[in-house]
Amino acid sequence: MIAVLWRLSALCGAQGGRALLLRTSVVRPAHISAFLQDQPTPEWCGVQHIHLSPSHHSGSKAASLHCTSERVVSVLLLGLLPATYLNPCSAMDYSLAATLTLHGHWGLGQVKSAKAGLLGLSALTFAGLYYFNYHDVGICKAVAMLWKL
Amino acid sequence: MLFLWEPQPKKRWISSEIRTQAQTIPFEHITIYSWSLPMVMSICHRGTGIALSAGVSLFGTSALLLPGNFASYMELMTSLRLRPALIHAAKFALVFPLMYHTWNGICHLIWELGKGMKIPQLYQSGVVVLVLTVLSSIGLAAM
Repeated sequence: MIAVLWRLSALCGAQGGRALLLRTSVVRPAHISAFLQDQPTPEWCGVQHIHLSPSHHSGSKAASLHCTSERVVSVLLLGLLPATYLNPCSAMDYSLAATLTLHGHWGLGQVKSAKAGLLGLSALTFAGLYYFNYHDVGICKAVAMLWKL
Repeated sequence: MLFLWEPQPKKRWISSEIRTQAQTIPFEHITIYSWSLPMVMSICHRGTGIALSAGVSLFGTSALLLPGNFASYMELMTSLRLRPALIHAAKFALVFPLMYHTWNGICHLIWELGKGMKIPQLYQSGVVVLVLTVLSSIGLAAM
């Protein structure tokens, strides 16, 4: 519980620029946090019970929206997997192409070291999948053909 | 995603070390932290995610750059007359990271709702994810 409160206060501190909270003698295992994906970033989809100053609200709102969108896309992709198996069609191909590339793009964006050229790679991937769906058999049929080997 | 728990590091403190707050040793967390299942599962989630993304990107770019259509490549694969065991193993290798990432991903989404984050539950869910991964991978590879 104390860890939660400390995390929330660090969040608040980072946004409000109140460096005092961060520069305390509390050990801040930055490397460990980054590794375990628990960096006190403005992004957090959970309910925030802390009062944010109005000037920083817009930033956290965008980050919060991004965070929520990531989860929505994840759930969408999760639903698409059995759906494409049960009902393979062209619409599924394109939905899968879009959801897959978006989920991958945002996922790789979390790996901070993979930022360079990410947008280009994701764009190229989506273009490739779209091309495949349009000119070739499409993702659903391709998987079916591959599995029949 | 925010983990609302903090594992206690097993630090090896050398008395001669005098560290200021700014000093950090790269990859120290690998040496000072005692390994735990949730930690390894988290690393693997990232690893499988990166691998799967790389695979999808490879597929997409190949579709744009390589000559011929998908059917021709399937014909090429059939003409190789690979042993069924090898094909089965390849299918398993393809589907294993996907299944791991999927099941662990579901765990992540459940955690986002604030459920199942007590320490024993983390270990239990980890074991469940691993068992489900193996079973579903075997099942899908056999199809």
